[in-house]
Amino acid sequence: MSQRTLYLRIFFKQVKMGLVLYGREPSAVFWITAFPIVMLLALGTVFGGSTDAGVKLVWEQAAPQTRLDALLAAALTEQGAQIELASPAAAEARWKGGKLPAMLMGVDGHYTLRINSYLAGQAMQIEALVQEEFLVTQARANGAAEPARIPAVTQSPGGHQGGPYAAYLLPGLLGLNLVMIGVFFTGIVDVTLRAKGGYKRLATTPLPRGIYLGAQLCVRVIVVLIAGALLVIVGAAAFGIRNEGSYFQLALVQLLGAACFISLGFVLASFAKTSESYSGIANLVFLPLMLLSGVYFSLDGAPSWLQRLADGLPLTPLLQVLRAIFNDGASLTSQGASIAIVAGWTLVLFALATRRFKWV
Amino acid sequence: MMTEVAIEAIGLHKSFRDVHAVRGLDLAVARGEVFGLLGPNGAGKTTSLEMLEGLVSPDAGQIRILGLDWRHQSAEIRTRIGVQFQSTELDDNVKVREALEMFGSFYPKSRTAAELLRLLHLEDKAEAYQRRLSGGQRQRLALGLALVNDPELVFLDEPTTGLDPQARQGLWDLVRQLKSEGRSVLLTTHYMEEAEALCDRVGIMDRGQILQLGTPRELIAGLNQPSVAEIEFPGAAPEAGPFALRLGMTVEVKENSWAVPLSDAKQDLQAVLHCIEALNLPMQQLHVRRASLEDVFLHRTGRSLRD
Repeated sequence: MSQRTLYLRIFFKQVKMGLVLYGREPSAVFWITAFPIVMLLALGTVFGGSTDAGVKLVWEQAAPQTRLDALLAAALTEQGAQIELASPAAAEARWKGGKLPAMLMGVDGHYTLRINSYLAGQAMQIEALVQEEFLVTQARANGAAEPARIPAVTQSPGGHQGGPYAAYLLPGLLGLNLVMIGVFFTGIVDVTLRAKGGYKRLATTPLPRGIYLGAQLCVRVIVVLIAGALLVIVGAAAFGIRNEGSYFQLALVQLLGAACFISLGFVLASFAKTSESYSGIANLVFLPLMLLSGVYFSLDGAPSWLQRLADGLPLTPLLQVLRAIFNDGASLTSQGASIAIVAGWTLVLFALATRRFKWV
Repeated sequence: MMTEVAIEAIGLHKSFRDVHAVRGLDLAVARGEVFGLLGPNGAGKTTSLEMLEGLVSPDAGQIRILGLDWRHQSAEIRTRIGVQFQSTELDDNVKVREALEMFGSFYPKSRTAAELLRLLHLEDKAEAYQRRLSGGQRQRLALGLALVNDPELVFLDEPTTGLDPQARQGLWDLVRQLKSEGRSVLLTTHYMEEAEALCDRVGIMDRGQILQLGTPRELIAGLNQPSVAEIEFPGAAPEAGPFALRLGMTVEVKENSWAVPLSDAKQDLQAVLHCIEALNLPMQQLHVRRASLEDVFLHRTGRSLRD
């Protein structure tokens, strides 16, 4: 057998074994494959996956409705609000339940809007709508001209995907999965194997390190691409969102991201001696990446220094590119600046990883 | 290509930061020989082994394995040696057969999993996960992985540490079989009885050096004290000074007993008994046993092996 055939055989055997071992680790399968799907379904549904999710409003009425109340109710309903009328006792019970962001109280123009201080952010939308429709109601009651509205057009920034929040979330989860496979599914395995002497044992065999590491990389890329494909399928089935760009380019960007974060996993692992100390280091890096890079929501409201910081992290520009391709059908060439940042991180992390990697 | 020497090491030194772990190790292991490196924890056995296995490069000294040089022929050496470590080293989710097949795939020629499973008496565990194996089964699997390439030279690092007597016996049988197949074996152990049972020659190692080298029989004979009298006391052993002075013998004081090496069992024993009576010592029991490698170690280092 020639050296090359032997090496190819080792490589494929390693890849196969790696996939089998991955399949036998339920927690890995859950976090890499099932977790993003669960997040997409859960958050996508809660935060407006479907279009009928209008504002819900509880209205406490102690006295019978007047003409003004009916006009306000009509104006609110026109704007898609769902109104639930409640007696003072029932309304108080709902309020004490703590789930209502805001509640409308009173009749015949003597209204009060009760805002839940814990949920002030969620209440903003309700308050704005009620205030606006009260102006409309007063105009209608007085027979005056109705205040004009600025026409609103709902569309995605790229103008292609007219989709719901789930369409924003899905590319974010694709990117987050790359971080998870690198930081958790690579780093932890690396630390444990070294601590157990597994690398040392391999180092006494003729297995070339390049082939071993190449196969490990290959296993993770396969796993993450399969998980990504499943997520895209679920997104299409559940929310009707689809990839507007090229699947090939989407896969290429994931490959770059995988290389970046798998290198990161190896670098982090090289600083830990045990899996316990590793999980501390890993979370220290993972949590800021997850929270600051705009996986779940836009960071536009955050202080600008925090945004500048987030822009320099590898995940932020990666998500930018993934969203541009997936949601807006952009081509890779239009994303040069973002790709350059990710590629720069990848080069640095890869160089560090190879420098710090040790068999023994 | 064939050489009569399996391992040849000259003047090996290795330091880690402030620890001078190996200080001038010289070693020659012949083909077909089972050689034991004995010593307490921290004696430098593992570092010595790792240098010979090509895992750690020595700060000074020369190594030839099967006549080959680690610096230029590492790939060839690796295909011809087998290595077993003392700790478990595999992914928990790997099955016994898979592990044997995976390691087999690293070599141009390898033994089949079926053959190894039979040799290791692990046929009924072929589909078991590694994490479900007992300590003895794990050690046998680790040995099997070391034998997957039909190696000419096998390194075993404390192959029976932590095993019950029955499992230990099973591993001893396997090591004897390796010898009968003409393989060379270098093993480390801190069980003296293991070395006496398995090794053609042993090297007693302490503080990074080999203190004494020879067959177990030679080393024990070299003591010139082939027997040891163990004198037990009902409570704590008394001060041995007056006794030793009167007899002109060395006495090792243990918790509840003394060990007195005897050069001539017949004469010395009489003197010992006489002295016990003269000093009116509260002796409870007296045993005389054959001197062991343990006594050789004690004699050479002034320390007990298990300290």
